[in-house]
Amino acid sequence: MIFKIARKELKEIVREGRFRITAITLFALLLAALFVSKSYYTSVNAQHNEAKKNARSEWVEQGQKNPHSAAHYGTYAFKPKYPLSLIDNGVDKYTGVSIYLEAHKRNEAQYAAAQDQTALSRFGDLTPDFVLILIVPLFIILIGFNAFTRERESGTLRLLKSQGVSTWKLTMGKWLGLFLPVLFIAIPVYVLAALFLANIKDYGQFSFWALTLLFGVYLIYYAVFINITLFVSSLFKKSNVAFVTLLGIWMVSCLAMPKISTAIADKLYPYPTQVEFEEQIAVDKKKGLDGHNPWNTEAKKLKEETLKKYGVDSVQQLPFNWDGFLMQEGEKHTADIYFKHYQLLKDTYVNQTNVYRSTAALSPFLPTRFLSMAICRTDYTSHWDFANAAENYRIELVGKMNGDMAANSKYGDWDYLADDKLWSSVPDFQYEPASYTTVIRQNTSNLITLLAWLLLSFAALYGAVTKMKTI
Amino acid sequence: MLNHTIKYEWLNLLRDRWVMILLISFLGITAFAVRNGKEKVEDRMATITKEKEKMVKLDRRMAADIDSLNKNLKPAPEAWKDPRALDNIGWNAPRVVAMDAQPLAVVSTGQSDLFTHYAKPKIYGEAYTLGFSELSNPVQLLFGSFDLAFVCIYLLPLLVLGFSYNVLSSEKESGVLRLTLAQPISLYQWLFGKLLLRFFILTSIVVVSILISLTIFGIDWLGNMEAATKLILLVTVYIFFWFLISFLINLLGNSSGSNAVTLIAAWVAFVLLIPSIISQTTNSFYPVPSRTIMIHEYREAKALAEKKADEILKTYYREHPEYAPKDTTQQNQYSWWLGNFAASDVINQSVQPVLDDYNEALNKQQSWVNRLRFLSPAILLQDGLNDLAGTSPAHYTDFRNQVIAFADTWRHYFIPRMFKNEKMKSDELASLPKHSYSTANVPSHYNADLMGLLFFLTLATAGSLWVYRRNRFERMVAL
Repeated sequence: MIFKIARKELKEIVREGRFRITAITLFALLLAALFVSKSYYTSVNAQHNEAKKNARSEWVEQGQKNPHSAAHYGTYAFKPKYPLSLIDNGVDKYTGVSIYLEAHKRNEAQYAAAQDQTALSRFGDLTPDFVLILIVPLFIILIGFNAFTRERESGTLRLLKSQGVSTWKLTMGKWLGLFLPVLFIAIPVYVLAALFLANIKDYGQFSFWALTLLFGVYLIYYAVFINITLFVSSLFKKSNVAFVTLLGIWMVSCLAMPKISTAIADKLYPYPTQVEFEEQIAVDKKKGLDGHNPWNTEAKKLKEETLKKYGVDSVQQLPFNWDGFLMQEGEKHTADIYFKHYQLLKDTYVNQTNVYRSTAALSPFLPTRFLSMAICRTDYTSHWDFANAAENYRIELVGKMNGDMAANSKYGDWDYLADDKLWSSVPDFQYEPASYTTVIRQNTSNLITLLAWLLLSFAALYGAVTKMKTI
Repeated sequence: MLNHTIKYEWLNLLRDRWVMILLISFLGITAFAVRNGKEKVEDRMATITKEKEKMVKLDRRMAADIDSLNKNLKPAPEAWKDPRALDNIGWNAPRVVAMDAQPLAVVSTGQSDLFTHYAKPKIYGEAYTLGFSELSNPVQLLFGSFDLAFVCIYLLPLLVLGFSYNVLSSEKESGVLRLTLAQPISLYQWLFGKLLLRFFILTSIVVVSILISLTIFGIDWLGNMEAATKLILLVTVYIFFWFLISFLINLLGNSSGSNAVTLIAAWVAFVLLIPSIISQTTNSFYPVPSRTIMIHEYREAKALAEKKADEILKTYYREHPEYAPKDTTQQNQYSWWLGNFAASDVINQSVQPVLDDYNEALNKQQSWVNRLRFLSPAILLQDGLNDLAGTSPAHYTDFRNQVIAFADTWRHYFIPRMFKNEKMKSDELASLPKHSYSTANVPSHYNADLMGLLFFLTLATAGSLWVYRRNRFERMVAL
């Protein structure tokens, strides 16, 4: 019975001009989004690979230098772009692509794409996720808003009842009648995306499992919207009212809620401004050990301690270059300061994330948005992970430079030069993103919220249709 | 006769509780939006004020220090702390170069969440390294803010559509249309009149809500009448555009339900799809020039220049002032700085072409993308609102240029004095160069945006006339 109803629904939907036009448009949009994103991804990836190669060669071929000067010269860490980012670009546009790694200083990632783009980019880009998360629910509403109201308006609902069809079976039939068209659109996109991704040269980071998981999340999300659509349609007598109500729900959950959550998160846990953040760090730095400033109180203390430890009475007598040692100690100290302040920043970010997680109870859009970004590795957490990896690499690189200077030169000998042997002994920056197990663990709450949406909306639908009046 | 029907329509609407509900809910939404905008602007101005106060305090303390040092009331501090040394003032007491919020900044967040609103350029440092990115949670940037611009661009059209999608069809469906048309009036004029009335009512609601919200949150729009008028004008034209679209769809003579769906499709197309399609295709087909390649070129040019500069100065003297040869200080205490400026000039001159090339390519790309805004009224409105709020990309580019220019002024205030080996006097602190923010050099888009919206109005009017002429009268009237 369910399948008969589903078949009837499908036939009716497919025969309607409204469905054909919107389905074709939707499909065309998805294809266009996929192709355009692919070309964007390919060009960005090519730039990334070239930049990475350049940064390495700049570092290795920097010529003879004092190791500490080399640490000042520094190098760049470039954030890799992951294949799935062509489905969902997440926050990538708003986070920088490169981090300058130099002595004494942890830099923020620079050159977020949005900063070089015009305000037009703030409307969003036509990437597959834009269509999949924002437009497909609208499509569901469009083909489903009158699922029950139509029957009621034409009096067929009563007729069906008199035939002895259980309302639940009827509902399931209608549910499938909405779900199958969505599936027909989603499956080709999934296959195409898989083909695209498999054909990208270095797809080492890509797994079909992740892509499948991503589409699974989307399908749950669509099921939620189908439930909501049928629920609303079963409540109202008139199609028009059902349509306006559903549109309102879509507006609130997909457009307004994300912005409202942002306003709340920002109000409760504001970020410091860039300058404030830097100044807080500067204040702490001033208090502590300054590797470049031998007159600094902390530096004098360290000197006395070190002299005592080695039982000598001047830095010249130490078995290593005091300057290099002092700078490395200063480096350790500044790294700690940066760690502390970034940890504070991270606390704010975690608090803000928790705000989004609680407002997700009001909008199925939010958990889906976050899960989608996380699976595509384009969420903020991935960015943090990369930035932390870059910082660890920076500490290691600068440590190696200072260590070489301390070990191989004499105090006061600033003319000591190292060469490409030392530079190339520093391994190239390699970044491995967090495993999917970690990603899922970080997003358990989003997953639970989305599943709760699914169950509750099913329950609401069940409750509504069993009490549904036929007129 | 026409007047009569319009009057009847007016009375009808007046008794409709929906108008009241609409007014109240819209006022609520606008007030929330303005509150959000106000909060951002207040934060922005508060940090600027705090920075400026800190600067004034520091100046005062340094003036006192200089005085007491000159009178030998205090032991002379280490050279790198002495406030009488010009380099310490230039390095430790930078001026705050701030981008003050424009009177209507609350209207649109624009690009203000991406960039910082003040900088403190020092005597040494490359313009290139001046950071302007604001520290923020990118999720917030992705979701955007609930500001007045969002309300106007996204929500207003829906309000218009909800208010007008069934003007003709409901009359048809209730059977009143046949009665009305039995009177000697033109369907086109009558329908247009009905919509015009609704347009006036809705516009009044919107304008009143906006002005009340601005007043509640203490935005002095009366004192900025020109900007306020421009804002109202822009929003009004946008509302009118959506009424015309609704008029056109109504004239097709379909049922209310079908009208609603078509109008929503139009909204999705103009507000969601066209902007995102343009944005994404330009990303792929006319992308922003690559920053990563620019970084490489910059570093190469810099490395080359530094090799040359090495002949003038040893690199690490620049990085390690404490190790600079002491004997030169006897002639001029600033010789290290002066040498440093010379070296950085050599380097800047050689890297400048890389930056110039990049900026030129970026400007070209952006002005090309800017022209595409004429493809959707939503983009035109966004651009116009950003322009009025002073938060457009052009404003931020201009501010960056002002900072770079001021950095130069700041350095050149000290250079001649350093050559003369002068010391800072306490009364000179008051006459240090100051920056005052001005938008005089920002090219305004407002007029072009307004013209663009008017063009869309003409297009929609022409479209409605065309539909009216082509469509059979019976179809428009028949059920």
